[in-house]
Amino acid sequence: MQHILRLFILLVGLFAGVGSYAADAAPKLTTPDDLGPQIEQPIEFPHFRHAGDAKDGGMQINCMYCHTYARRSMVAGIPPVQKCIGCHQSIESVRDKPRIKKLFEYWEAKKPIPWKKVHDLPDFVRFNHERHIQRFYFQQDRPYQEVCGYCHGDVKKMTVARRQKPLTMGWCASCHMKDHPISAHSTKTGHGPNDCFTCHK
Amino acid sequence: MKENDFNRRDFLKVLGWGGTAVALSGCGNTSIQDGQEIVTSYVTLPSYVIPSIANYFNSTCAQCDAGCNIMGRVREGRVLKAEGNPNSPINRGKMCGLGQSGVQAHYNPDRIRQPLLKGQAVTWEAALGAINDKLNGVKGEQVAFLTGGMSGHVQALFGNYMDALGSKNHFSYEAISPAVLRVANKKAYGMAMPRYRIDKARVVVSFGADFLGAWVSPVNFAQQYAQFRKGTRPEGRGVLVQVEPKMTLTGANADSWIGIRPGTEGMLALGVINALGSAGIKLPADIAAAVKDYTPERVGVNTGVPFERINKLATLLKERSPSLVLAGDAAEGYVNGSQNALAIAMLNHVLGNVGKTVEAAASVPFPQIAPTVGSRSSLNKLNDGLAAGKYKVVFSYGANPVFSAPAAMKFKDNFVKADFKVAFAQYLDETAQAADLVLPLDSAMEDWGTVVPEYMAAPEGSDADTYAQMSFRQPLMQKLYPDTRGVGDILLALLKQRKADEYKDFEDFYSYLHNAVLKNKVALGGKTTDDDDIFWDETLSKGIVPLKGVAGSVSAKMSAADLKLSPATGTDTNYPLRLIPAVSASMRDGRNANEPWLQESPDPLTTVVWDSWVEIHPKTAAKLGIAEGDIVEVASKSGSIKSQAYLFPGIHPDAVSVPVGYGHEGMGRYAKGVGANVFSILDPVFEQETGELALNETNVKISKTGQRVIIVKEEGPLGGSQDGRPKIAVQVQADKVDLSKEV
Ligand code: SF4
Repeated sequence: MQHILRLFILLVGLFAGVGSYAADAAPKLTTPDDLGPQIEQPIEFPHFRHAGDAKDGGMQINCMYCHTYARRSMVAGIPPVQKCIGCHQSIESVRDKPRIKKLFEYWEAKKPIPWKKVHDLPDFVRFNHERHIQRFYFQQDRPYQEVCGYCHGDVKKMTVARRQKPLTMGWCASCHMKDHPISAHSTKTGHGPNDCFTCHK
Repeated sequence: MKENDFNRRDFLKVLGWGGTAVALSGCGNTSIQDGQEIVTSYVTLPSYVIPSIANYFNSTCAQCDAGCNIMGRVREGRVLKAEGNPNSPINRGKMCGLGQSGVQAHYNPDRIRQPLLKGQAVTWEAALGAINDKLNGVKGEQVAFLTGGMSGHVQALFGNYMDALGSKNHFSYEAISPAVLRVANKKAYGMAMPRYRIDKARVVVSFGADFLGAWVSPVNFAQQYAQFRKGTRPEGRGVLVQVEPKMTLTGANADSWIGIRPGTEGMLALGVINALGSAGIKLPADIAAAVKDYTPERVGVNTGVPFERINKLATLLKERSPSLVLAGDAAEGYVNGSQNALAIAMLNHVLGNVGKTVEAAASVPFPQIAPTVGSRSSLNKLNDGLAAGKYKVVFSYGANPVFSAPAAMKFKDNFVKADFKVAFAQYLDETAQAADLVLPLDSAMEDWGTVVPEYMAAPEGSDADTYAQMSFRQPLMQKLYPDTRGVGDILLALLKQRKADEYKDFEDFYSYLHNAVLKNKVALGGKTTDDDDIFWDETLSKGIVPLKGVAGSVSAKMSAADLKLSPATGTDTNYPLRLIPAVSASMRDGRNANEPWLQESPDPLTTVVWDSWVEIHPKTAAKLGIAEGDIVEVASKSGSIKSQAYLFPGIHPDAVSVPVGYGHEGMGRYAKGVGANVFSILDPVFEQETGELALNETNVKISKTGQRVIIVKEEGPLGGSQDGRPKIAVQVQADKVDLSKEV
């Protein structure tokens, strides 16, 4: 009897597994299931204040003002502390806010801020920001918030970033299989590369 | 099996039903890790740094003495790889495998991380204090300095420190160096290290100079060789003849390989001169007289090279001018080594190559930074002094004689006689282990320095005869360990113990170097009006400082008076085989043996990895009943080693060869206990004029131990035929090949 029970537990586990796979198989827009965990950061960075729309009290700063490498490098880059200070040293009004105080503490100690990585792909995956930004932002002329949002969600409404998409291979492939216009001024379309070695090298 | 464990068979059953699905669901979110890793951004960042995109910084390779100029590929603050600097006249943008392994010297897990006093970790203060104490009451002549080859500003500081201590005992030691050649060249050409122009020669005859593998400046020569082999060259495609008892990488590339009897290279050269005379080349009277007795027939008998081949070689040299004749390790390593080299150099004179393919090289205008080259004769002097108890304090840097001196010299026993031995070391190698105080060094990728190469290659151009250069070594990344120090920094600290006032302005070696370079701005190619900072930055970013060197000249004539070729030493009936210690392109003298890439890269000829081996001619092996993989004992009068037998037709039947550099007893996990140390069994026989250890003068006997192994090698069981694939070329059984008859 115990034997049957054990087998049963295994089977249930298996079908649960298959079930979750089936759910992943058809990627969809953000659902609570795709949400990554809430991550505590050393400084609770308010993305909405920086990138948010003016009507919501944001400053509408382009994502690539801070994540400046996204258009020319594999990684988008976390801005050096110097960059934060560059603006904040002349923004007296918020100087006494706890978060800014903390920022200046790091700066004065010349210590980097140990940010937690939110979008951390496994080491065998090579994702290239530059290719995506060049294609969608520069060639297709899409708005930057939309382009970054394909993978990162609506960051301009967040405080610290939280993963919004599954970032699984099936999810990547679902977009790569779609036809996209080659550029803003062309009717030609093409899809993303489908070769294993493009991402696994 | 425990009661509650799932039964393995059940598990497999389930997996069988839905294995694919399970495997696929494994690709789900599980491998995305949110918030696990820390992404450390910079505090400040120079504008040229873009994360994930590499920057290149120029520096200088420290893996051998050729001093190739390199660029370190640096990404996110870590050095990842080295490339050749394309503006270097030495290596012109290329590097060798040994150089590539430099990153493994830097990231090596066995680096020493703290000063060690009698094996105990101590602070730098304590370490430097101990040196100061031990020097108390010790006279200058009781202090000895043992170093490898050196140059540049570190050498200048060493000199200053020696002066401060009043010591004149500098022993510069290299286990493998062209020391005999330097002396012979000085006599023959008037300069120790002329420029060899392989690229201009129509034929090169190399007497055991492995210039594509391990000789002098291999990357430079390999590039010249590429030119030399081009059919589109105005001189046409060059012909290479290699004469040596054991085939080297260069020998394997030659059009014709002559497996000569060991030690008779000089005689062959004289035979060729004789044959050239008969063929109508006008010989100066003294040279004609000197070679009169060396008829090809007689030389043929002595060297084992058929006299027809000698005549053929003479014809080839006569018809294809200019040519170049090189004398390398294989010709030098005998009692009559310098005579061999001299006889070979004479060929260049007779053929009119001097001035054409043997060019004068310039030297640097600052003697303090000019290279001090190492040799083995200096080790003999140090060893004698140590044995006599002359030295109380010994400093050792960049040399490992406890490993590379023949056991018969008893170097270690003599070394430990000194009261206090200080080793500057990156690894706990054999010499560092025998030292009382070990000072951990920065790696060459963390340290500052300048290098002046011994072999001074020049770019093409009219001022090539006054071209000399100094190369910069700069840190390619921050230190990995907080408690290692640069050799220059240590020397400065030691100098401050003696002459605090003179050195008080220099906080560290960087400031010393910075100051020394800016003081000589004009001599280093700047203008007095140049801004100091800009000049410094530009100099560093180029990595190469061309200097207006002191032009040398090569002597157009050579007299035969110096030449008294003594016959090669005979064999010994008890020890019937000649041992040839081989220098491989990646292992060289073994100082880099703890870099696993070098152990892992197959020897170019035998393809063996991670071990030493004994090369035996198949005929000799058949006589002794030895098959590949037999563990054999190689015994000389001075000791014995055991290693695996490898049958190889590219060796004289009366010789066996074992690569040097293996068989470390210390150093680190990748070097220790791998292979056997052939240096240890060399007989203490010395070259008669220079006092260099005659590396090829050891006779050995070989016996089977009864053990066998399967050799770990790349080439596969049949020497190249790949399992199951059709043979690419007709195969000749190894014991049927006679390479001396091929071509
Ligand atoms: S020959 Fe090789 S090891 Fe020697 S300096 Fe050049 S690159 Fe480095």
